[in-house]
Amino acid sequence: MSQLANLGSALWELSTPTMLFHVAWSMLLGIVVGALPGLTATMGVALMVTLTYSMDTTAAILVLICMYMGAIYGGSRSAILLNIPGTPASAATSLDGYPLARAGLAGKAMGLATAGSMIGTLVGIIIMVMVSPALAELALNFGSYEMFWLALFGVLISGQLTVGSVPIKGYIAGILGLMIAMIGSEGLHAYVRFSPVQPMNGGIGLIPAMVGVFGLAEIMSAMWLRQGVLASVRDKSDRVIPSFREVWKYRITVLRSGVIGTIVGVIPGVGEDIGAWASYSAAKRSSKEPEKYGHGSTEGLIAAETGNSAVVPGSLIPALTLAVPGSASAAVLIAALFIHGIRPGPMIMIEQPQFISTMGAILILAVIAMGIYGLTLTKLFVQVLRVPYAYLMPLVFTLCVVGTYSLSQRLFDVYVMIGFGLIGFVLRQMKYPMAPLVLGIILGTMLDTNLRRSLMLGNGDLWPFITRPISAIFVAIIVISILLNFGFVRRLLARVGSKLKWQRNA
Amino acid sequence: MKMHKADRVTSIIFFALGTAMLIGGYTMDRLPIRQIHPLSIPGLVPMLLGASLAFCSIILFFQSTSEREGDPDANISKGSLLRLSLTVALTLAYALLLVGWLPFLMATAIFIFAFTLVFSWAEALDARARIFMVVKSAIFGAIAAYAIVILFEKAFLVRLP
Repeated sequence: MSQLANLGSALWELSTPTMLFHVAWSMLLGIVVGALPGLTATMGVALMVTLTYSMDTTAAILVLICMYMGAIYGGSRSAILLNIPGTPASAATSLDGYPLARAGLAGKAMGLATAGSMIGTLVGIIIMVMVSPALAELALNFGSYEMFWLALFGVLISGQLTVGSVPIKGYIAGILGLMIAMIGSEGLHAYVRFSPVQPMNGGIGLIPAMVGVFGLAEIMSAMWLRQGVLASVRDKSDRVIPSFREVWKYRITVLRSGVIGTIVGVIPGVGEDIGAWASYSAAKRSSKEPEKYGHGSTEGLIAAETGNSAVVPGSLIPALTLAVPGSASAAVLIAALFIHGIRPGPMIMIEQPQFISTMGAILILAVIAMGIYGLTLTKLFVQVLRVPYAYLMPLVFTLCVVGTYSLSQRLFDVYVMIGFGLIGFVLRQMKYPMAPLVLGIILGTMLDTNLRRSLMLGNGDLWPFITRPISAIFVAIIVISILLNFGFVRRLLARVGSKLKWQRNA
Repeated sequence: MKMHKADRVTSIIFFALGTAMLIGGYTMDRLPIRQIHPLSIPGLVPMLLGASLAFCSIILFFQSTSEREGDPDANISKGSLLRLSLTVALTLAYALLLVGWLPFLMATAIFIFAFTLVFSWAEALDARARIFMVVKSAIFGAIAAYAIVILFEKAFLVRLP
């Protein structure tokens, strides 16, 4: 319970006029970024890192978290009104949100989406505050062997779960990310690898790469595919503020979606979109009226929105305690934390014992702001969706250039951004997921140094990699998740399962 | 373009990249002068990664030859190629040429003006509307560029190119 008491006092400390002002503007900006198709949460957070250099640490983190949460929530606006998810996270929302809007119930849909997002985040925050300190303590036992497996596990699992079609493309994206991380000075002997030009000696910066992949590549896709048409009518009886009874009716769905979303968030590099889909399909499976799903089911809508919002606090759990990002946006947050002198990882409870409660308090402030905006400013968001791309996209690209340049005042980073934007666009069109690539870039150093350090410690002995208890667990999960890709293994498991069931029945 | 054809081409590129990384890692300096542990050579992980990429690209190649029926991803989504190439041309011209050559304010104003004009040109149907469009884009470009410079330099204390 002391965790929750710490959360309360952190919330009290944060409630100063300056901080509330930062919450107000950054949340509003976040919702606008999320609502605009073509601007994603990751891009918003990556660009925000630049604006927050000169702020003090807590204010900077607060602005970034509000941007992250606002964007994930804002995506539901265009999903409901345009049938185009504002961010990939809202793809499941559009399935039921758009039919509701066409039936004249856009207000009700947006109200329920707001309620779902708020409750989902709160569930996630409680789990985050309770679980993180214990996880950080467990992670203190991690040696080089475990850190190596953790990095490999992160990249592999992200590659496996974020890909829509063939898992091999997820693995390839992850390996490409790890390869990019090999560029520049390495961690053990300070030897410079694969660096043809002097500015690359320090390696490829995560922020320029991410702004390219999530900024320029997004702009290119948006201009390529044209803007959606706003088509919705509002019924007179339609109201935005949801009735308590309606939300209460779905309490089980909301709680389950919150927990599923948080768990998906904890899995490295598996983000909001998967959280939404997982909660949506779980809700559909246990629903009394599954036939309504996809045709304007309020339950489906609230499940999807709760699920994607709960991923935000969930993704911060491994980001803070293991320095392994739970989602692509959390990867940018890790980079931002390093810039502001906070070292996420197992040492966080020792170096910054109050930081996790502060993070929880920031999230609570963000939830409150999200609720206020979500239920009051519906008209403004509809206007935002009408801004033509011809005016919006050049501004966004200018921000991409300014953001990457001001990182260390060199044009080289801008060129990196352009390069990653072009490659990212091509890879995306060929259905390569971007999350494992990003995870590879951020975890590459951890994988490289810990593998070689373990080999040195054991003098080439490979046994500790599989015999140490935590390592053994990682190895088991990795092997199982790779084996599950093969059809014959899945069929074998299904056969064993049905045989067991048959035996039990007999 | 069909996805399986594109996959086959990329699998060959990835195989080449993986092999190059494998060779790069193998031939990398093993720092014998510093007498480091032979298993901590800098080229170890690049070698492993190169081999894994080459291996994955072989699997991708064979998967792409067996085209699946009714695969929703069989085609790469089609958009307007003209709009795409215009976007790439404008953004590259701005980031690679204009920035660094012209003062940032001027470069940004020109870029925003050009981008807005090019993509809203189709909406203007007669000569008068076109002149109006040019003026509107120019004013938008100038104001937006000025606002960005002021916002970043004064409010966020960021140094601009």
